[in-house]
Amino acid sequence: MVDKLEAVTRNLHEEICSIDTRKEAEQLRIKYLGRKGIINDLMKLIPTLPIDRRADFGQRVNSLKSEFTNSIETLLQKMSVQAVPAVKAELFDITLPGKPLSGGKKHPLTQTIDDMKEVFANLGFEVAYGPEVELEYYNFEALNIPADHPSRTDFDTFYIKDDVLLRSQTSTVQIRIMEKQKPPIRIIAPGRVYRPDTVDARHSFMFHQVEGLLVDEGVSFADLKGVLYQFIKGYFGQNVQMRFRPSFFPFTEPSAEVDISCSLCGGKGCSVCSYSGWVEILGAGMVDPNVFKAVHYDPEKYTGFAFGMGVERITMLKYGINDIRLFYENDLRFLSQF
Amino acid sequence: MKISYHWLKEYVAFQLSPQELADELTSVGLVVADIKPVEDDFCLDIEVTSNRPDCLGIIGIAREVAAIAGGSVHFPETNFVTADTSISPLITVTVEEPILCPCYSARVIRHITVAPSPEWMQKRLQCIGLRPVNNIVDITNYVMMETGQPLHAFDLDKITAHKILVRRAMSGEEIVALNGARRALFHDMLVIADGKKPVAIAGVMGGKETEVSEVTRNILLECAQFEPRQVRRTSRALGIASDSSYRFERGTDYDGIDRVSQRASRLIKDCSGGEIANGAIHITSGRHETKKITLRMEWLHKVLGTEIKSDRVLDILKKLSFKILNDTENFIDVEVPSFRSDVCREIDLIEEVARIYGYNKMPIKTSISIRGHTKNRYEIVEDHVRQFLIGLGFYEVKTFSIVDASPLQSINLWLDRTGIEIVNPLRQEESRLRTSLLPSLINVKLYNLNHGTEQIKIFEIAKVYLAGNKLPLEKNCLSLLSDADFLTLKGVFEALLRNLGVVSLCEWIPFNESRLFRDGRAARIQMGNDLVGYFGEASQELGFKEILCLVEIDLDVLVEKVNFAKKYLDLPQYPAVFRDLALLVNEEVTWSSLEKCIIGTRVDFLKELKFFDVYRGKQIPAGKKSVAFGLCFQTKDRTLTGEEVDDAQQMIVDTLNRTLGAELRKAVTV
Ligand SMILES: [Zn+2]
Repeated sequence: MVDKLEAVTRNLHEEICSIDTRKEAEQLRIKYLGRKGIINDLMKLIPTLPIDRRADFGQRVNSLKSEFTNSIETLLQKMSVQAVPAVKAELFDITLPGKPLSGGKKHPLTQTIDDMKEVFANLGFEVAYGPEVELEYYNFEALNIPADHPSRTDFDTFYIKDDVLLRSQTSTVQIRIMEKQKPPIRIIAPGRVYRPDTVDARHSFMFHQVEGLLVDEGVSFADLKGVLYQFIKGYFGQNVQMRFRPSFFPFTEPSAEVDISCSLCGGKGCSVCSYSGWVEILGAGMVDPNVFKAVHYDPEKYTGFAFGMGVERITMLKYGINDIRLFYENDLRFLSQF
Repeated sequence: MKISYHWLKEYVAFQLSPQELADELTSVGLVVADIKPVEDDFCLDIEVTSNRPDCLGIIGIAREVAAIAGGSVHFPETNFVTADTSISPLITVTVEEPILCPCYSARVIRHITVAPSPEWMQKRLQCIGLRPVNNIVDITNYVMMETGQPLHAFDLDKITAHKILVRRAMSGEEIVALNGARRALFHDMLVIADGKKPVAIAGVMGGKETEVSEVTRNILLECAQFEPRQVRRTSRALGIASDSSYRFERGTDYDGIDRVSQRASRLIKDCSGGEIANGAIHITSGRHETKKITLRMEWLHKVLGTEIKSDRVLDILKKLSFKILNDTENFIDVEVPSFRSDVCREIDLIEEVARIYGYNKMPIKTSISIRGHTKNRYEIVEDHVRQFLIGLGFYEVKTFSIVDASPLQSINLWLDRTGIEIVNPLRQEESRLRTSLLPSLINVKLYNLNHGTEQIKIFEIAKVYLAGNKLPLEKNCLSLLSDADFLTLKGVFEALLRNLGVVSLCEWIPFNESRLFRDGRAARIQMGNDLVGYFGEASQELGFKEILCLVEIDLDVLVEKVNFAKKYLDLPQYPAVFRDLALLVNEEVTWSSLEKCIIGTRVDFLKELKFFDVYRGKQIPAGKKSVAFGLCFQTKDRTLTGEEVDDAQQMIVDTLNRTLGAELRKAVTV
């Protein structure tokens, strides 16, 4: 009888070791622990044994039973942790790329204009628009640029008729707004402008400008510096330095050109900044009294300032774009970079 | 304007290196674009703004340096001994046009020897990029560069009848200029003529015939002032520009003329061994008023936003050669030097003070008053449209408003409105303002195709320019191009309208009038009386292999229809009942007619009508099609009964049958 018990014990160990699946484990449990299972059969043998051996044999069968129960439970638990069967099926490659979904992009020039609008919106500037095909008056005379004035040389212009032209600057919007509104005025005017420049990497016959105008009582050059300071820090970053240089524009007096420290070389000098450490980004100045006279504002009562900047130029500086033509070719390999 | 570093030092003492000098000049508004070493000297290239003709001579630059560095300007020697012979029998001068020539000065120098100019002069001219010619020509150039005042030397013996006439050109006259260009002259041009013919184009260029050559013995030295606009017009009309015309156009110093003439005469005498005839002819018209300006200290402080001490203000003005006539605590009266034609008003003086005081020394005031900012409606819609389309994978493009005259670009969608031509285009090929954005988008598609990008979805928001009254009509348009079929892009368009809260119904009217679109696959979109835009698949004639769909929308019209106001609707409490129908109809029966008919039945609990598909196949007779759609019935206050829905469905089917001859093929209760 003890031999039989030992044989059962040996078999049981072998069979437990060869189990691969839950199903096999269940079957094995039934085989041993079921009502008609091997262990029960062994129990049934107890009454056939001599009395003095019954207790010992019974104990050994019981310990086999609990040992087996433990083993099979542990095994089942392990299998449930390993989850789905260790089927040797195909492997899912979790490193494969996701399904392509292409989002569109704003044109980089729109992004620049939007960024500028946002900075100026925080300073209370509203957006104003004006026509691109303009009366000569708004592009020149009202801006204190009389006919045959030498400064007109700086403003070559496309003409439609004798006194109708394609605006060469967004300053035209200043006049149109001031004709309609009384101070205080705080606007920016983004838009397309046109100059008959031969197209190359730096020039385009069409480009974008953002013009700003602030008119009120008691506005000073120090306010102009303040607003442009806020803009430059807001748009280009806190570490950027700015510099004002005297310049000349017929519609402002005093006039200035504004440079910022070259972000590419940090002011040490490089080819982008012509080794000066500075790059010019905008023109500005106090509104010339003659401009106020043209719109019937009292130049003794009101003062103001205006500024203007090229959107392409600033975008090129910001991203290190070296050819203005890229903006109008609209190659998706270009547009998708911004 | 190019200057020589060492030449400048002749007029003003300063202790600045070329780079330091450049930085200082830049900071007062004379931008030094370049510093180039030339032998033992440096050439500084200075950008002089058009309001500062006084800085088109080295002495002008020296004045600025004196104001910066604190020195004073030394003027060159101008005195000389004249010969006994008087100028009067040698030449007479008559100015017929005193307004166009307010001042004309002439000197005669005889018995000169034309030879190369002295080496020091040649070196200086070469340093600033001028080619030495001979002593006479070089001296006129040298003095012009020194003073900013142009001069001209005529060969006196080639002047007919000892006579100079400053007059307008006569019809039929022509001249060969110094540069060899032959030009016909017109009556509105001012010339310098001798007894017979024009010998120079006033202020622009001298004539070839009276040019100083190696054999010249006697010269007439002209130093004059010409009206700037006149010079500019003539120079432009003849296509001749010179260092002289550049300066005359910007304005020269009336008061300096005689001194400049003396300076050049002295140099010519020194360098060519000639003798200066006694006296000069100096013809001036009227009197030049000296400009007097009062500067109010209070206004200066108000405009600049900072207090600059009156001592400093006085000091700056004096250094810039303004004469202080009177100074009190609150006012400074100054007289403007004749060479500062740009300073006429108080504000101009304020700029002068600010410029020299230093823009960068002035305070930055960041306490701007608070002001609310509101976006205008157009801006809001434009942002919204852009954001929506980007979300759907569209790229925004920007293309030129000026286009060529190709058949593609000549397409005009916007009813009866023709395009606008540019009078002076850059290139003949690009001479029109566009009347549609779509041709440019097609060009972008082609460009990308040629550069390896097969599929694109793009849009542009820009203006088209249509003939108007005085000014053209500038219409804001939104145009899309996509590699998609009609219904796919129509889906985008409809989603956009929903997103913008546009509730007006669109009418899709067949549109076959444009070469841009494929026949039978294009529509004019109308909302009531408003034309919204044009929509369609691209014409096969455009040569694209794949289907391409285009739309151009009048954004100004759309903006009016936009409604961002939103109101919450209770979510339905009772279940919806769905019925799917398939109807057999004639080919001509459009979806919109089915839709109108169904809506016309006014079943008040019909909540939604949803198109599924159109089927043509074996079971469908020729000339017919099967249209499948779903109906959704629902009410707010109760559950609908089966009978109610059955009745409504039957009513709809009967109406469709009666009005459009539709037959029910299939009805499914979902
Ligand atoms: Zn740099």
